[in-house]
Amino acid sequence: MDCYTANWNPLGDSAFYRKYELYSMDWDLKEELRDCLVAAAPYGGPIALLRNPWRKEKAASVRPVLDIYSASGMPLANLLWKSGPVVSLGWSAEEELLCVQEDGVVLVYGLHGDFRRHFSMGNEVLQNRVLDARIFHTEFGSGVAILTGAHRFTLSANVGDLKLRRMPEVPGLQTAPSCWTTLFQERVAHILLAVGPDLYLLDHATCSSVTLPGLAPGVSSFLQMAVSFTYRHLALFTDTGYIWMGTTSLKEKLCEFNCNIRAPPKQMVWCSRPRSKERAVVVAWERRLMVVGDAPESIQFVLDEDSYLVPELDGVRIFSRSTHEFLHEVPAASEEIFKIASMAPGALLLEAQKEYEKESQKADEYLREIQELGQLTQAVQQCIEAAGHEHRPDMQKSLLRAASFGKCFLDRFSSESFVRMCQDLRVLNAIRDYHIGIPLTYSQYKQLTIQVLLDRLVLRRLYPLAIQICEYLRLPEVQGVSRILAHWACYKVQQKDVSDEDVARAINQKLGDTPGVSYSDIAARAYGCGRTELAIKLLEYEPRSGEQVPLLLKMKRSKLALSKAIESGDTDLVFTVLLHLKNELNRGDFFMTLRNQPMALSLYRQFCKHQELETLKDLYNQDDNHQELGSFHIRASYASEERIEGRVAALQTAADAFYKAKNEFAAKATEDQMRLLRLQRRLEDELGGQFLDLSLHDTVTTLILGGHNKRAEQLARDFRIPDKRLWWLKLTALADLGDWEELEKFSKSKKSPIGYLPFVEICMKQHNKYEAKKYASRVGPEQKVKALLLVGDVAQAADVAIEHRNEAELSLVLSNCTGATDGATADKIQRARAQAQKK
Amino acid sequence: MGGWKHPARGGRGRWAKMAAHLSYGRVNLNVLREAVRRELREFLDKCAGSKAIVWDEYLTGPFGLIAQYSLLKEHEVEKMFTLKGSRLPAADVKNIIFFVRPRLELMDIIAENVLSEDRRGPARDFHILFVPRRSLLCEQRLKDLGVLGSFIHREEYSLDLIPFDGDLLSMESEGAFKECYLESDQTSLYHAAKGLMTLQALYGTIPQIFGKGECARQVANMMIRMKREFTGSQNSVFPVFDNLLLLDRNVDLLTPLATQLTYEGLIDEIYGIQNSYVKLPPEKFAPKKQGDGGKDLPIEAKKLQLNSAEELYAEIRDKNFNAVGSVLSKKAKVISAAFEERHNAKTVGEIKQFVSQLPHMQAARGSLANHTSIAELIKDVTTSEDFFDKLTVEQEFMSGIDTDKTYGYEHILTLHNLEKAGLLRPQTGGRNNYPTIRKTLRLWMDDVNEQNPTDISYVYSGYAPLSVRLAQLLSRPGWRSIEEVLRILPGPHFEERQPLPTGLQKKRQPGENRVTLIFFLGGVTFAEIAALRFLSQLEDGGTEYVIATTKLMNGDSWIESLMERPF
Repeated sequence: MDCYTANWNPLGDSAFYRKYELYSMDWDLKEELRDCLVAAAPYGGPIALLRNPWRKEKAASVRPVLDIYSASGMPLANLLWKSGPVVSLGWSAEEELLCVQEDGVVLVYGLHGDFRRHFSMGNEVLQNRVLDARIFHTEFGSGVAILTGAHRFTLSANVGDLKLRRMPEVPGLQTAPSCWTTLFQERVAHILLAVGPDLYLLDHATCSSVTLPGLAPGVSSFLQMAVSFTYRHLALFTDTGYIWMGTTSLKEKLCEFNCNIRAPPKQMVWCSRPRSKERAVVVAWERRLMVVGDAPESIQFVLDEDSYLVPELDGVRIFSRSTHEFLHEVPAASEEIFKIASMAPGALLLEAQKEYEKESQKADEYLREIQELGQLTQAVQQCIEAAGHEHRPDMQKSLLRAASFGKCFLDRFSSESFVRMCQDLRVLNAIRDYHIGIPLTYSQYKQLTIQVLLDRLVLRRLYPLAIQICEYLRLPEVQGVSRILAHWACYKVQQKDVSDEDVARAINQKLGDTPGVSYSDIAARAYGCGRTELAIKLLEYEPRSGEQVPLLLKMKRSKLALSKAIESGDTDLVFTVLLHLKNELNRGDFFMTLRNQPMALSLYRQFCKHQELETLKDLYNQDDNHQELGSFHIRASYASEERIEGRVAALQTAADAFYKAKNEFAAKATEDQMRLLRLQRRLEDELGGQFLDLSLHDTVTTLILGGHNKRAEQLARDFRIPDKRLWWLKLTALADLGDWEELEKFSKSKKSPIGYLPFVEICMKQHNKYEAKKYASRVGPEQKVKALLLVGDVAQAADVAIEHRNEAELSLVLSNCTGATDGATADKIQRARAQAQKK
Repeated sequence: MGGWKHPARGGRGRWAKMAAHLSYGRVNLNVLREAVRRELREFLDKCAGSKAIVWDEYLTGPFGLIAQYSLLKEHEVEKMFTLKGSRLPAADVKNIIFFVRPRLELMDIIAENVLSEDRRGPARDFHILFVPRRSLLCEQRLKDLGVLGSFIHREEYSLDLIPFDGDLLSMESEGAFKECYLESDQTSLYHAAKGLMTLQALYGTIPQIFGKGECARQVANMMIRMKREFTGSQNSVFPVFDNLLLLDRNVDLLTPLATQLTYEGLIDEIYGIQNSYVKLPPEKFAPKKQGDGGKDLPIEAKKLQLNSAEELYAEIRDKNFNAVGSVLSKKAKVISAAFEERHNAKTVGEIKQFVSQLPHMQAARGSLANHTSIAELIKDVTTSEDFFDKLTVEQEFMSGIDTDKTYGYEHILTLHNLEKAGLLRPQTGGRNNYPTIRKTLRLWMDDVNEQNPTDISYVYSGYAPLSVRLAQLLSRPGWRSIEEVLRILPGPHFEERQPLPTGLQKKRQPGENRVTLIFFLGGVTFAEIAALRFLSQLEDGGTEYVIATTKLMNGDSWIESLMERPF
């Protein structure tokens, strides 16, 4: 155990710091780090080196080289820098390399040196040039802050959604600040800068002068500033060799330290882990590394080589030409277990397990000791947790073995945390591997989440590993395997040396119907690379028409888009394609296309009905659809023609169309209507009043009501209204008029073709019993009973029914016998019935 | 509870009070209602700040069934307007939200609203909520009109199937029948398929799909296709429905034309039920106890909501109207007896108990009074000569007697529409298949028991609706027995299976009924619904039905939707 804590360095009484090697670097750097612009992404991300930057003493004739390496020094990209002079490099949260040029243009590159895009930091920056620049990370994304030659700051808090903000001026500022940094408070980015002994804080509107609480006097200049990973803490290094540490609110000092070195440090970064009370900063000079915190003594390391510090969530990475190390505060669980002479439950459990392996009974003693204190659960948890913080697999194993051993003696211990830790460590060990080179700690991994880690593997084109991890962790396909395969496919379509067929087949073989894979995304990528044919092939595999169709339209494959839209049943999609086609094709071709797609054609007809009537006519014409043409002209006749002549003419066209459609009925009806219209017009002229657009029957009725009986009869003859119907019309009209005299005359004009019962009914409807009775006597025998009942003559009805010997009629009369008055009649019927039965 | 048979399985609390009319059935449709309400709230919250809603008027009815004004108010909706041209009314709100169906003509109006917005006034944010689906076509139109960029949120609100009752869903899409069968426009079928996908997301994949008709086939195809689109999200909901039956309205064009003779059916035939509300002539509802003040009769129509939340209505709605009177009078006796109880209440405890029941009793009395009035109104109609004649003609029609009717020229386009829809056929000889169908499916029953029915034909006092008979035969003994008739009826009949993961396969308890979702494409009548409910409640029926449709309709509203008058 002694050797294990050999690299532990105490800082004060309560914390230990240790530094261990992550990798011995594989890169073969020809230059010194100090001659390069360096950017290393957090969370074990890639390292970018821009060699040969634009230094005044060097000739600008040699083109600089941009190299990108993994954290283990494996080369990822190498390209000649052909653009302008670069002031600063930095990585975005998506692991894109931002190269800030002197002219304020920011070039964005992918991990593999592929150019993505560029944007400018604005005119003011262009004019005054970039003096210094920082790339910073916030919860919203990655930002860029620029110090211009005019000593003004411009920043964008999120380069994904570029909004430039020019910060207010510092009054009277003549020289560049000696140091500056971005702060992030209450969701807003600020700038803190030091000029001589003064500090200024810039927010978007104001510039305020600030002071550090408890700062020792005598400072005439600040040489370095450092903000912690979480933006909570701030450290400043003064020209007196004094380090002030406090909160970024500038309200509270945490501690101070005098290192007695007045030389400006090369780098200063915070080194603390989440939820730890210890605060420390790491300061680096040319050959010296110092860890200082709230303790009288500091920890000192000698740097053999030119080194570079990368702040992380829970520590600091330090890399040089030959090594890559991690420096951090020893986590609590590890400290408990491994501290010399520790009696913590985890420490005892680890001992117990070791003794157990040696088959020593001491194992039992240790175990008993833990159990007596009731701390076995805690012991197991401690071992699991400590395992997570170990970098070396053998140590992880030994701690997990101890946890597993302890677990056996617990009744109710959910093994979930144990299993999960085993899984997490397996993933972590895989990605820390030298070939992959992502040296994430457990805390960083948890902060980053597995989803982001998978994204990063995809970004590095490590598809098989990503898929293995998904399968191993049993992630849902949509979030896991499918997504990765889709990314792989998007990469695959960019391989220009492989034929369309082969790429499409390869992709479909791998992806098949994997849920959640968007073939249209892949196709869009293929189209983006200029491979339209491949895109179309890929779209064949896309089940979602909503995705398929717009892309086909974009690729000008409208007819294919149309058939896909129709297949989907989504009419909105069909309409969209149709309107697209309409603009794209000439009218003839468009109509031809429609002809082959009946569903599209009927939809388009609907569209035209509401939006383009003339086109509708053309469509019917094209199809020789005379029936619909007829209907069309009828509508037109009434909708758009004002004058009667125009209406009749339109109806004539309609009638012709109906004849062509062999719809004799409609044609005849239309011709009749034309005749009627003309006649109605004449009636209006001659008689006045409203006739137009009345139906034939209503015209007749109106005529009768107006006393034009002759005209009415003439009209009936002209339009061959059957006699029966004419009688009905006349009867109803006269009764409505209450012209009983005329009605009676009419009834006697000849024998009624509809009998006389309707006369009775209609009189009764008008409550004229007197008139009704006149007709009741004339009703034929088979309806006589009904007629008599209608006029209320129950007694006579009974007589007739008895005479007829009709059982149905008898019952009808009987059901009409009400009250005392009809009692005699009812008896009479009963008697008649009885007699009938006797016979 | 009258002569209505009760389902044997207890504990369902079918008649539970509260407004829980959606959760009484085998399938808790409140889940759907809650889901759509949540979606609405989420959208409203996206538009932060005070808001005014501009309504496509057609949507207000259906929306009323899922969200009252109070819900909107809670989400800072302060004003509501009806969508119409020119300038929007003044409203001191931050957001203006248009709730519209995706129709081009509505887009034109919206554009007019937006363009005439007063630039000098305070800036307001515009949003559009498309119901039930966002439309590229409409967005293109807005773009052409130069206003697309004015909208901050353009979203869709997939309100396809609206829960009307515990076993009833409707899309309330008025034009669905016309579009599908006359204009070959599948839009509403697409919405139906989408609605079914939503249902399946909430209630599990439906393992078996049956269907009859061209449209049914298309909806099934779309569903299968959509399922393929969603393969990513494995549905892990335990299936509630056993079967889906998709039925084309044009398989049975006859039924809706017959006059419905159930209580609810008659209310609809005579007064028209809209989004579960009916407006009635006010005379019969005059407050009786108003004393001197009661001389003025109310002029405004009486508006009542009709659903199974009302205990009495749930009991009588599906009865043949001739069986309603006796239930009402029995009920009246029970209620007045209950009120008499107060004379027997002697101890404080007894009085307390009586008082605690009072609100329920008063509600029951109010409900009884309402339905007695409605029944009187209906009776006035059904006992009239006209009604009797119409019914006689109808019933003769069912047996194939020719009727001679004449139409004016204004109906020429309508006639053509009806012919296209298959409702009319020119007399051109050919075989009349109706007798075969009538005999095989026993569509005409001579001995009908209206009081205690034994067959679905009670809903039309003799005629058994073909559509429901098809459903009944599907459940037992299966369609194979009527292949012949199915072939005569228009459109294909089919069966599809949607495989379930083994964990979700149902093991039916002995005696447990199957649940069938029956979807009428093109509309359904209340009488058909009543017939299906009757089947659901048969002791040995074996199947319970949940009914979905594109539109709740009757013969009049249906023909109305097909009418086209040139003048």
